[in-house]
Amino acid sequence: MADQNTSRRRFLQAAGSAAAATALAGCAGGNGDGESTPTDEPTETGGDGSTPTAEPTERPEPTTREGYLQRANRLIHDEAPWVFLHRQFSVYGQSADIEWEPRTDERVAAYGIEPASDAGEDVVMTQSQMDSGLDPHDHRETPTDNIVLQAYEGVLERDAQGAIVATLATDYQRLDETTVQFTVRDDVSFHSGDSLSPADVAYSINRIVQSDVGIESPQVDQLLGVEGAEVASEDDRTVNVSLTGLNPIVFASFATYCDVMNQSWVESNDNAYINQNMDGTGPFQLSNYEQGVEVAYERFEDYWDEPAAISTFTINNASEASTRVNRLLAGESDIAVNVPPQEVSRVENNDGTSIAAVPSTRVIFNAMRYDVEPFDSPQFRQAVNYAVDLESIIENVLQTFGSPTGQPTLEGFFGYNPDVDPYPRDLERAEQLVEESGYAGAEIELVTPIGRYLKDVEIAQAVAAQVDELPNVSATARQVEFSTLVSQVTTGNIEDKPPWYLLGWGNATFDAIQTIQPLLASDGSLTSYSNDELDRLLDEAQQLPSESN
Amino acid sequence: MGYGRFLLKRGVQGVGVVWGVVTVVFILRFITPGSPIDTVAPLDASQETRQRIAAELGLDQPLYVQYLDYIVELLQGNMGYSYISSIPASVQVFQKLPATLELAVAASIVAVVLSIPLGVISATRRHQPADYAATSFSLLGISTPNFWLGIMLVLVFAVELNVFPTSGRAYGFGEALAAITGPQPFVPVVTAWLASLVLPAITLGTYFTALITRLVRSGMLDELSEGYVRATRAKGLPETLVRYKHVLRNTLVPVVTVLGLQLGTLIGGAVITEAVFAWPGLGSEIIRAINARDWPILQGSLIVIGCGFVLLNIAVDALYAYLDPRVVAE
Repeated sequence: MADQNTSRRRFLQAAGSAAAATALAGCAGGNGDGESTPTDEPTETGGDGSTPTAEPTERPEPTTREGYLQRANRLIHDEAPWVFLHRQFSVYGQSADIEWEPRTDERVAAYGIEPASDAGEDVVMTQSQMDSGLDPHDHRETPTDNIVLQAYEGVLERDAQGAIVATLATDYQRLDETTVQFTVRDDVSFHSGDSLSPADVAYSINRIVQSDVGIESPQVDQLLGVEGAEVASEDDRTVNVSLTGLNPIVFASFATYCDVMNQSWVESNDNAYINQNMDGTGPFQLSNYEQGVEVAYERFEDYWDEPAAISTFTINNASEASTRVNRLLAGESDIAVNVPPQEVSRVENNDGTSIAAVPSTRVIFNAMRYDVEPFDSPQFRQAVNYAVDLESIIENVLQTFGSPTGQPTLEGFFGYNPDVDPYPRDLERAEQLVEESGYAGAEIELVTPIGRYLKDVEIAQAVAAQVDELPNVSATARQVEFSTLVSQVTTGNIEDKPPWYLLGWGNATFDAIQTIQPLLASDGSLTSYSNDELDRLLDEAQQLPSESN
Repeated sequence: MGYGRFLLKRGVQGVGVVWGVVTVVFILRFITPGSPIDTVAPLDASQETRQRIAAELGLDQPLYVQYLDYIVELLQGNMGYSYISSIPASVQVFQKLPATLELAVAASIVAVVLSIPLGVISATRRHQPADYAATSFSLLGISTPNFWLGIMLVLVFAVELNVFPTSGRAYGFGEALAAITGPQPFVPVVTAWLASLVLPAITLGTYFTALITRLVRSGMLDELSEGYVRATRAKGLPETLVRYKHVLRNTLVPVVTVLGLQLGTLIGGAVITEAVFAWPGLGSEIIRAINARDWPILQGSLIVIGCGFVLLNIAVDALYAYLDPRVVAE
């Protein structure tokens, strides 16, 4: 793909600051989550064998944003507000008629598909759901992303590995603390034939962040801290974006959200029309839209970059996994999205189809509320982590399509701490920690959604059964509908959440802050945890520019 | 009471039923966990964003205001707009209705074509191998789960033998009809239309085939023991004439009633079959709307289905009243 060459800034910096962040087993001695008793401290050290038994000595403060985020990840690992589970994989079935590498961010861009045989010119993809409308600013979920991104583009995009690449911008830079500037490419036309102008870019940004411009965009929280944009100069095609403060991940956010729309086209059509038609700048243009059934595209010949390698692309849906696989096996479809573990062998044993799997941006975890018994004890939370046999879950429930994690930030993300390992299974230690926590005999219940994440119910049952093996804890799992769980976790009030629940979190910005801030910071919108030291580390991190861009 | 007044009364009752459906669905909002905002807004949306979305969808109004607004709009022919896609609910619902109707009718045809001969054979060869075969088939048909049958049919006839497409709906009845004059070649379009319809129709129709086979069998056995049958036989009428002209005809009266009402059940009950075959019908739409708490779509779908039921019932009643004037007199 051409855009890989245009990547000028490596998304992931070689971990230069990693050494500084070999952080600090002792930091968990925590001064302020309000619940720990002073007697916690000795047990925080000499933990899981991966950390050298160290006195809680003070280490020098990190000097970089990455250093702060890595230290935050270490702290979270030690304080264990979650049962850390795994990183979910995206598993696709693929026909031999095409050549294609799946992307880490769960998005399927048809631009990256090349025909491997004559049958590969016209490519069909089956996913589990269709779009929630074609307005690229009016949604935020993967099935719609996949449908929208074939025709719409942002100023920045990501390549298959997650690195930021300039697309509709030819250049991007920080002018000062509260301003970033994009230079808009000047040889781009929309599918309708109109030329892309800097005004279109500014309008698109404002349409997301300012609710009086058209719609209430669900992406507004993804461009948090962006106040608005204006055309700086029509001559040199620059757009200035004003920020409320230094936003370290502003480019990472723009690389994931903010598709550019044609201002005059948007303004002359109503919402229902915009949700059933497209006028983007992308490599494919809409040729047929049947709501809830099928979206068909054809190659856009006037694309500013190399035209796409395939001539048509069609997306349809089948909510049943076996139906998606059957379509693939019968040659009706070239890509089947979300092949569950039990269907993998059918795809692999069939001539002309294979499995393509890639680690996704989604972490699956069991949150434990820090403010209720017995989870208010860090020892108890660690004990639950020690009691879970992650490897067995990944091997047996997920058929190896998942990788274990010991921190909320995934490998390859900015702020990932390479020195933190997943908790190993250690029943003896778990039992002992439960005794120390003073909650021996606790009865706990894990609440899991049904069918929202790959094998969620099975995973929750395995976790509960493994924790239940402890002689001094009894654990069970309870299933609820996903929307029921959502209505409990999104009220903004920690008391409304179940004490122990399974959730998944996708983070397409590839930056630690977009997971830790909403889920674990004291003022996070979904938080079930609070710790002053963690809040301080995040604040420090957010006051430094990101080394990633 | 005249025939016209009778129909009018039924019509007014029907409107009452539809109004009841609308109201019940509205009350469901109270007792259903999860709010539409949870599915419209991202998980980490701020409370401020949530409130703005609620205001945009009109969900911040008291429920009775929302209810009255909805009824007023509905009377003007406006079902509201999908919370998720902003597309008018009427467009979304009526786009999906033909596929489901088509499937229900096709399944009914499968059921009629198979069940009546099976029932007749079974009744006339009572306690013979053919009877046992037919009864076993109907037992199997009633106890086989729909989704399992569907998946098995797909595996055998689509994936292994490659005779039918695995799923989806290549063309609709309307497109097939249009192909007679239209630019698209007639034969391939009709073939593709029928091919995609066969497996789902068999899957959905099997249960009803089994049900009606039993109905025909027992009905026919009852009739065969009636006095008039002995009389016709005594008159020397050939046995085939006795069976098919007299007995079967009388048996079919309740069968037609059941079929008429089952058509309504098929429309509502096609959900699982639609999922297995990725059939773009109203059933899948309802499931999607329930999961997304997309109330305008859900209400629109249920109103349409409710109207369908009411119309079928009125039609059956009207037919009865026409055939048997005593019904009107009551």
